[in-house]
Amino acid sequence: MASLDITGVDKRYGGVQALKGASLSVAEGEVHGLLGPNGSGKSTLNKVMAGAVRPDAATIRLDGQDLRIHGPQDAHHHRIESVYQQLSLIPHLTVAENLVLGTEAARAGWLTPKAQLVEVDAMLERLSPVLGGGIGPRTRVGSLNPGTKQLLEFAKVVLRRPRFLVLDEATASLHRDQVALLFAMVRELTAEGVGVVFVSHRMEEVLDLCDRATIIRNGLNVATVDVKDTDEQELVRLMVGDLARAAGRGERPAPSRDGQPVLSVRGLQAEGLADVSLDVHPGEIVGLGGLQGQGQSELLTGIFGASPAQAERIEVAGDPVEFRNPRSAIAAGLALVPGDRASEGLYSVRSIQENISTVTLGRRARAGLVIDARAEKEAATSQVDALRIKIGALADAVSTLSGGNAQKVVVAKWLLSEPRIVLLDDPTKGVDVGAKAEIYAIIRDLTAQGVGVILNSSDDVELAELADRVLVLYEGRIVQELEGTDVTHDNLVAAALRISDDDTKES
Amino acid sequence: MTAMQSPAAPTAARWRAIVTDPIFIAAAVAVAIVLVGQLVSPGFGAYSQVVGMVRVASFLGIMAIGQTIVILSGGDGIDLSVGKTATLGAIVAARIMDGSDSRLLLGILVPVLVGAVIGLVNGLGIAYLRIPPFVMTLGMTGVVAGIALAYTGGAAAGRSAPALTGLVNNRGLFDVPGVVYVWIVLIVAVTWLLRRSVAGWNIYAVGSNRVAANLSGVPVRRNVIMAYVASSVFACLGGILLLGYTESVFLNLADSYTLPTVAAVIIGGTLASGGVGGYLGTAIGALVLTFLTSLLSTMNMPESWRTITSGVVLLVLLGMYGRQRKLRT
Repeated sequence: MASLDITGVDKRYGGVQALKGASLSVAEGEVHGLLGPNGSGKSTLNKVMAGAVRPDAATIRLDGQDLRIHGPQDAHHHRIESVYQQLSLIPHLTVAENLVLGTEAARAGWLTPKAQLVEVDAMLERLSPVLGGGIGPRTRVGSLNPGTKQLLEFAKVVLRRPRFLVLDEATASLHRDQVALLFAMVRELTAEGVGVVFVSHRMEEVLDLCDRATIIRNGLNVATVDVKDTDEQELVRLMVGDLARAAGRGERPAPSRDGQPVLSVRGLQAEGLADVSLDVHPGEIVGLGGLQGQGQSELLTGIFGASPAQAERIEVAGDPVEFRNPRSAIAAGLALVPGDRASEGLYSVRSIQENISTVTLGRRARAGLVIDARAEKEAATSQVDALRIKIGALADAVSTLSGGNAQKVVVAKWLLSEPRIVLLDDPTKGVDVGAKAEIYAIIRDLTAQGVGVILNSSDDVELAELADRVLVLYEGRIVQELEGTDVTHDNLVAAALRISDDDTKES
Repeated sequence: MTAMQSPAAPTAARWRAIVTDPIFIAAAVAVAIVLVGQLVSPGFGAYSQVVGMVRVASFLGIMAIGQTIVILSGGDGIDLSVGKTATLGAIVAARIMDGSDSRLLLGILVPVLVGAVIGLVNGLGIAYLRIPPFVMTLGMTGVVAGIALAYTGGAAAGRSAPALTGLVNNRGLFDVPGVVYVWIVLIVAVTWLLRRSVAGWNIYAVGSNRVAANLSGVPVRRNVIMAYVASSVFACLGGILLLGYTESVFLNLADSYTLPTVAAVIIGGTLASGGVGGYLGTAIGALVLTFLTSLLSTMNMPESWRTITSGVVLLVLLGMYGRQRKLRT
């Protein structure tokens, strides 16, 4: 039987080795599950297959023949198609236009738009029971809800008649009926000989749909199993691993939660968030856990006044506050290390000096207007030394730094503001191991000084190591709270998975 | 071999950084134009000739101050209304001064205020209504043209104050007219403001990454609005000085300055996408453009070829900047 084999995949992002010799083999006519915890390299592996990521090393063979995939075009050419969790539909175009997008040109000359529309109509007819009312070929995509968009994304790829199909979290925003229909269509495809790679955090779906499953962890293959010979516990055990026990919180005593919280949030509502309340006490690290994209980033930016949000009440050390923009939040003693360093954290073309100075520039300036060059240099140098940031010169562009050092620059600008509350959105993403440990030390230092910390992390090991308490989020709500000795890597993985299982059963 | 080279490496690198700096390239081009001019037409490079060209460049240079700040502030920033705004400034100034030194101060203050209002409207539209700068300032050009027409009734009246004309036309210290000294003071002041004031650093911050600037507590909208106010104010100032040069006004006095201000900024090495650059480069860019125009006129080149040559020189320079930027990263 023909198969798509991808072996020896290495991929390094800056200082982080995302994949080290990972492999995956999908046969025609099978559904192959790809499992692993957050950050294990699943998505990177899928993107290598789709040509969206160029690996440092990889061998890809189709039907025993070597294959070169240097870009998405090559993948399309071999009819390897992908559906991602992030949507690629174009909001201003109609449903029909989106469904045929990119294939019009390839078929130009002999396929009239009319013939394509027949295919589109047939597809929409097929989806209509779960698509929701009033959605036709001419509906604009921008107004549709995420679940509908995800189904359309799937439909678009199916219309391209793939030979191999990658579904990366393609069911994440679907309801139960929608999942059922998608599964039925996947089974029809496999009956026709299509090979499918299926990624989902919902164990139930994996057990239901997949024939085999490959488990990867830290960029390495752990095992490939026949799904009918295994069960949920076994899969979770393989994903979590026996050895990956985190060091735990170490010797740090749990901070007192008797006194007044340094930050208190009640009834925060925002897009992607529903009625979130939490307290952070001085010296405490409150982790945000769960699957990624369940509202963690929105919660942090919402508190910080950086995105539209309404709260019943927000108090900083007992004083009611209302943050209409980050500026007012900063004035109240908050700091936010955002999730995307390059696009939200740094002025990449500007100097390291300016990047470190930016938050507190006005505080050091004469009369708040005129920059004292020496004071700026001293302030920046003090942080570069304290955080051991490896730089050439303060005047160098911040884009010359590695991921870990660039992230330290973001941290440095906030430390100068002497914050009372620090919000960290995945602060060690794309940071190498050494810098990671140093950033952990900085966070612990902050708590020792009585700063309250909220830490979102896509890395459950990181939460287990740092957090005193973890709030597990699912679809914008806090659904579980782990505390003290319960904050372990296993419990965090299990909490995230169990919740999604429950949801599938209920809905 | 490597051991022998390494001690010299730092200075070599420093030299290369200087030689590939757009400001250095633009300055070299300016000098080259004067030298070529001297060869083609002896006397082109004479002291009084060069001073005369610098005087002419000062109008463009001063109008391009605001354009520099607007482009630095990013967000596809551009001010296409500078030419028309400068014209309106000159018209208002001429009407108020009407050939009398006693109304000189008023004749400067009122047009500058008019400019501030135009810039404020531009800035508000761009920052709050999120109208693309290109569209907003192009629309504003029409509005300002209409206001100028209504204000003058189709025929511009008034004259420059003699003191203003003297500042522009009479040669002072070292045989250099006062307007050139005004420009030099502005070059120093604007460069200092951009490099040594909180507002200057914030303009660079906003220009290089608005999201990061906002998350760092930098008031993004306020900075964008201030950039457009500065643009219109300096446009009006340039228009007033141009009035000193021409003494009387006409309805399209400074209209043709809009695109040259943008060209001067880009020749000066300011990144079109914002966040990198400065005013010294723009000032040299204004010199390059003015020298080139003078040279082509001296050579009796027909209008069509002058335009083509200017365009080609601009494109060649941009090509060189693009190359060295790629090499740097």
